[in-house]
Amino acid sequence: MSEWQPRILAILCNWCSYAGADLAGVSRIQYPPNIRVVRVPCSGRVDPLFILKSLQAGFDGVLVSGCHPGDCHYISGNYVARRRFAILKPLLEFVGIEPDRVQFSWISAGEGERFATVVTKVVEDVRKLGPSKRIVKKA
Amino acid sequence: MKKSRNSVLVLGAGIAGIQASLDLAEMGVGVHLVEGTPTIGGRMPQLDKTFPTNDCSMCILSPKMSECVRHPLITLHIKSSLEKIEGAPGDFRCTVIERAKYVDPVKCVSCGLCEEKCPVKIDDVFDEGLRKTKAISRYFLQSIPSEYTINAGHCLYLTKGVCRLCEKVCPTGAINYGDMDREIELNVNAVILATGIDPYDPIGFGHFGYRRYSNVVTSLEFERMLSASGPLSGHVARASDGRAPENIAFIQCVGSRDISIDRNYCSSACCMFAIKQSIIAREHNRDLSATIFYMDIRAFGKDFDRYYEKAQEQYGVEFVRSKVAEVRELRNGNLELKYTFENGDIQHREFDMVVLSIGLQPRAGSRELSGKLDIGLNRFGFCRSDTFRPLNTTRDGVFVCGAMNGPKDNPESVVSASGAVAGAMEYLDAARYEPSAGGGGVPEKHVTGERPRIGVFVCHCGINIAGVVDVKDVAAYAAGLPNVEHAENVVYACSTDCLETIKSRVAEHDLNRVVVAACTPRTHEPLFRQTISEAGLNPYLFEMANIRDQCSWAHMDEPEQATSKSKDLVEMAVAKARGLTPLERLPIEIDPEALVIGGGLSGMSAALSIADAGHDVYLVERAEDLGGNMRDIFFNFDGSDPQEFLSGLIDRVLGHNRIKVWRKASIEDITGYVGNFRTKLTGESGELEELSHGAVVVATGGQEHETEEYQYGRSSRVVTQKEFERMLHDGSFPAGRLREVVMIQCVGSREEGRMYCSRICCSKAVKNALQLRKRKPRANIYFAVRDVRTYGFAEEHYSELRDSGALFFRYTPDSKPTAELIDPEDPHSRVRVTVLDPVLEKEVVIDADLLVLATAIDALPENLKLARMLKVPLNSDGMFLEAHVKLRPVDFATEGIFVCGLAHGPKDMSESLVQARAAAGRALTFLRKKSILAEGTIAEVRRERCSGCGYCQAVCAYSAIEVDPEEQVAVVNDALCKGCGACVASCRCGALDLRGFSNIQLYSVFNSLVRETAEGVVN
Amino acid sequence: MNVTAKLRETIRELFSADKVDVFLAWEEGSLPMSSTPLFITDGAQADRAIFDPRCGNNLSVYFTKDSRQFRGKRVGIAVKGCDARSLVLNIQENQVLRDMVVIVGVPCNGVIDGKKIRRRTGGKQVTEVMENGDSVTLKGPEFSITLDRSEVLSSSCLRCVHPDATEYDVFLGEARAEVGNENRRKALDEVEALSSAQRWERTRKEYEKCIRCYACRNVCPSCYCSECFVDQNDPQWIGGTCDVTDTVIFHLIRNLHVAGRCVECGACARACPMDIDLLLLNLKTAEEIKKRFGDTAGIRIDGRPVMAEFREDEKQEFIMG
Repeated sequence: MSEWQPRILAILCNWCSYAGADLAGVSRIQYPPNIRVVRVPCSGRVDPLFILKSLQAGFDGVLVSGCHPGDCHYISGNYVARRRFAILKPLLEFVGIEPDRVQFSWISAGEGERFATVVTKVVEDVRKLGPSKRIVKKA
Repeated sequence: MKKSRNSVLVLGAGIAGIQASLDLAEMGVGVHLVEGTPTIGGRMPQLDKTFPTNDCSMCILSPKMSECVRHPLITLHIKSSLEKIEGAPGDFRCTVIERAKYVDPVKCVSCGLCEEKCPVKIDDVFDEGLRKTKAISRYFLQSIPSEYTINAGHCLYLTKGVCRLCEKVCPTGAINYGDMDREIELNVNAVILATGIDPYDPIGFGHFGYRRYSNVVTSLEFERMLSASGPLSGHVARASDGRAPENIAFIQCVGSRDISIDRNYCSSACCMFAIKQSIIAREHNRDLSATIFYMDIRAFGKDFDRYYEKAQEQYGVEFVRSKVAEVRELRNGNLELKYTFENGDIQHREFDMVVLSIGLQPRAGSRELSGKLDIGLNRFGFCRSDTFRPLNTTRDGVFVCGAMNGPKDNPESVVSASGAVAGAMEYLDAARYEPSAGGGGVPEKHVTGERPRIGVFVCHCGINIAGVVDVKDVAAYAAGLPNVEHAENVVYACSTDCLETIKSRVAEHDLNRVVVAACTPRTHEPLFRQTISEAGLNPYLFEMANIRDQCSWAHMDEPEQATSKSKDLVEMAVAKARGLTPLERLPIEIDPEALVIGGGLSGMSAALSIADAGHDVYLVERAEDLGGNMRDIFFNFDGSDPQEFLSGLIDRVLGHNRIKVWRKASIEDITGYVGNFRTKLTGESGELEELSHGAVVVATGGQEHETEEYQYGRSSRVVTQKEFERMLHDGSFPAGRLREVVMIQCVGSREEGRMYCSRICCSKAVKNALQLRKRKPRANIYFAVRDVRTYGFAEEHYSELRDSGALFFRYTPDSKPTAELIDPEDPHSRVRVTVLDPVLEKEVVIDADLLVLATAIDALPENLKLARMLKVPLNSDGMFLEAHVKLRPVDFATEGIFVCGLAHGPKDMSESLVQARAAAGRALTFLRKKSILAEGTIAEVRRERCSGCGYCQAVCAYSAIEVDPEEQVAVVNDALCKGCGACVASCRCGALDLRGFSNIQLYSVFNSLVRETAEGVVN
Repeated sequence: MNVTAKLRETIRELFSADKVDVFLAWEEGSLPMSSTPLFITDGAQADRAIFDPRCGNNLSVYFTKDSRQFRGKRVGIAVKGCDARSLVLNIQENQVLRDMVVIVGVPCNGVIDGKKIRRRTGGKQVTEVMENGDSVTLKGPEFSITLDRSEVLSSSCLRCVHPDATEYDVFLGEARAEVGNENRRKALDEVEALSSAQRWERTRKEYEKCIRCYACRNVCPSCYCSECFVDQNDPQWIGGTCDVTDTVIFHLIRNLHVAGRCVECGACARACPMDIDLLLLNLKTAEEIKKRFGDTAGIRIDGRPVMAEFREDEKQEFIMG
């Protein structure tokens, strides 16, 4: 059997981070193929349920990325999202979800290189943690 | 003037012609798009990437090409030429010759068998002769229209009467050797010329060895080499030995800025083109070194200087200011450059490859065309237009756009196209119209309640995807997924023939959802949505899996993992598709009036264009007088009088019965949305007024940077170029001798805090210096410059100034000139300017009688407030940021709001005029319609679940959702909702959902990759 | 005069001044050691009202959308610290207009947790409860037992920092502002001293007890959705099973739904038949909110609920640099 490959869900906002991911590709910047991208209009659309559900469904990690503060296509969606994540993250750590399983970033449409760097880091962090076991629902 | 017909002929289907056609068609005007080659697209498809964003050229263009060929109001005439224009403006009779295609486009299915069998190999023009094509062919792979045509000059049967192979193999009997040229007559109201440019052919430049030395190529040939879809699949190789070059030299100004070949103009785009190519080449090969030999780097456009910086800082591109005298081929195929520095030093250096940055020149045959159409040319053979009529030819009713009247880059071409359209409106019917709903009138199939029947189309994108991902395997995997009724591979999903395939599969398999696994939905979703709506499906029953930009391109060395990722992405898309529901787009009524903010040149011109088209315009100016920055401009290179033009313009604005002007006015608030804006403003009286309008044009202008450098403000002898121009105009020079005049360029520009070129200062300084020459012939004029950026036809005047004896000293940010007051106590002190002369390598000291500073153009600080009101972005320099730098240069992402003039970025009067007209033209594409359709992707409320807590209202940035206090439930304003979903995620009650990104759809995606094994869930 | 007497007098005054149409308070329950909500519509009924440690019910719940009986009426209401915070939240969340309520704060020293008492008495019937400083004496037909207050009070009260209303029209005594309480941090410290794996182990053990009875949600004054997310099936975000991942996610999401809204009344924990320390997660979130956004649920009557707001310059160290 081949080596375990972490599978990471990336929830990206359409206007910045998804475009940044596209730019990484257009620029042929190479990064680990371990992420599966879901496009949402805005990081403000991201409900903590999305993250918990994905972990429960067996993703080894979740990355949520939106526009940099000030860049939000919808003006302030990322600020609303940031406040949500600000309490979600310590809560998850409090109950014993490994901190690196769930990560947040800001990536602009022009940051193809940064997208690749962020993905590489998340993949490496999760790889170190090994397969997710804690909140994964067994069949 | 007859206006009943309402159609326009557009000649040339490059990006300018396409943009003009689309804008006209959006206004309900019929278009005849006449193109000489067998495809639309022009030069852009030949380009790999575009500067300064490195957007893939074809990727951003192809949706527009498709839109153009599919628009019901655009009639395409390919392989055609315009022979004659007769009649009067508003009622032209145009004679067009449609040349024989020898293939019936209705029968041809673009299968390519004919090309495969055709025995005649000819140079592929599209690929700059770097590969062969056949006598029957498509112009390029993604040609639109996609049908084949025969090149009559090379076809064996048509020239020698033998062969007929294509006829034998054609499965549909589409070959028609008897096809004839046809002359047709088109009655139109106006004509827009957009024939573009040709690249300079360096064959005449024997000393650079082009065509003699195999490793000397033109920039266009190099572009095709870099292109992933090009003859080398993006792997640059030397023609001599197939080796990948390690070091490449770019020689600038080949065919530009050269008096000896009568091309004393700057081609404006080649510097950026070379920088782009060096960056892309470096991205292909990290070990490659690129060296650009240049006279001046003319990175004068918006964000260009940052790109130039990036090339140096991040990509290590070397820039060598020198003149290349000679290129010599060495035995190993390498090339030795001999180049001369300004101080006369000569150096030699060896390169693997030399790229000639060839200039732009008028199209072959433009002189003949100008004769046929009775339009004037300038002395270089470009179509003639004037500073203040930059989109008009010398013939009334015939407009010009694109590079036909002078070198332009991509966005400038697009801007001029929209501007020309605004010009043509003068000859068109002003009646507003009700656009028909989409889908080309195909009735929508009812799918609600049906079991999902999903069709999956896995695109190869040539080798872009198929070269990495096992696309066959992906399609086979898709076929096995629940609810997938049909799955297949397509070579280019976005090509016209593949779109037809998708449509027919929808019918054959009774599909009610479509998934395309290809590139990014950001560019291609609209195209596919349109396609399925033509097949009778609601356009929202579509989903994309991004297996190119976010997979094959990012994992080129991991084909297995890329394939498995592609399968997951397809599975996720299918999961989402299962839950897709048809969405309705509600009509939004459009108020016909426009608000124009800013009463300078741009604002007034935009206002006039809109008002002339029959719409009421509210023009708001914060100052006491109209005119803006133009009130300080007195001279023009062509001798025309800006103040005379300005006062004419002001008179027209003030006298126009459709323009209402507010002066000393301030805008307090703007609310609403496209078609339905409400603006509160206070005018001179101080009274608050409220206006309703359908569109907004932002033309707030810019301002001169207030410098503290070079003793400015401490002596009356230190002035800005603006002040100097007024001095030249009214003779108010400082008292006494005026012999030594120093001009310092880039004061505040191109340095920390203002990392951009202010674009117009070089030409302005040259212009003013020439005026000074006239008045003070004996004055010595010294320039301290970094790069002299007299792009376009201003180059001639720069030569003239140099020839007149003006001295130019180069400085760098590390060796800025210094200025000291000779008598610091004297408010009229002369100034001692010290510059480093790089040629003599010593300091030169000039006691200046006048020091003129070319200060930067700053964004207005007030932009921020306006940007917030309009919900539109500013760039890091505080200038308004357009929706797309290349292809939506005057639009904002927020519909119904447009930008022009200095508010967008530095530009000269002529450019501002063009952009103002473009903003007007774009605004008219909305204003001419009685209604448009709202987005389908908006929030919705399930009333029975809503507790009315108001969190949604608190997080909505658009005031698009409010709690009804009586009912205690949230209510969405469909027209205001932008579909971000912030409210949905804030709703703990589950009362809100976002159409198109609904909870159930996203849930299915998160849950789609669960795989159950004996060990439990494995993902 | 004790609090009950003051309360009765206040109620009478409000009715005689025609300031309220109805008054919400507590009265003796039918069982010993219990109280039950009391709706007074006439000043003459004022003497039924009581206030003592049995009055755990949060009367603000009668203002949420689904209990419309008071709409359009001027309502007087007796509130403990936590009740007042709920009421403030109700006002912030459009459930009731401030102008329509007369808030009467009662000084609270904690309410009893029936479960704790039952545990100490082995389920024997208690007929009398006597407070005496820091101790409480419970008497029944066959027994009498004196306990430390901490043994009978709701654990939420032991961790309480806002015993008294911060928003009121009348206060029956001297209202205390925020008070210090080391028990909060202590409870969190216990968990935070653990490694991530140990924390998960703790979480797993705690929540494996959950039988998904939803008593916690049903009793929560901040849980007033018409249909809880966990009962919705479009989609059914989490399973209704007692699988620990389902239960943990349920409690985490419930926690986030009441983030910046939980008034720490402890009703959830008191209602839990499995004795899960349900308030602990809420304390964590409340502490985080206080630390980051300087806000506490239901304290400021002006301004928006904390999770519906943002500032541009918030700390974002949890976002990758």
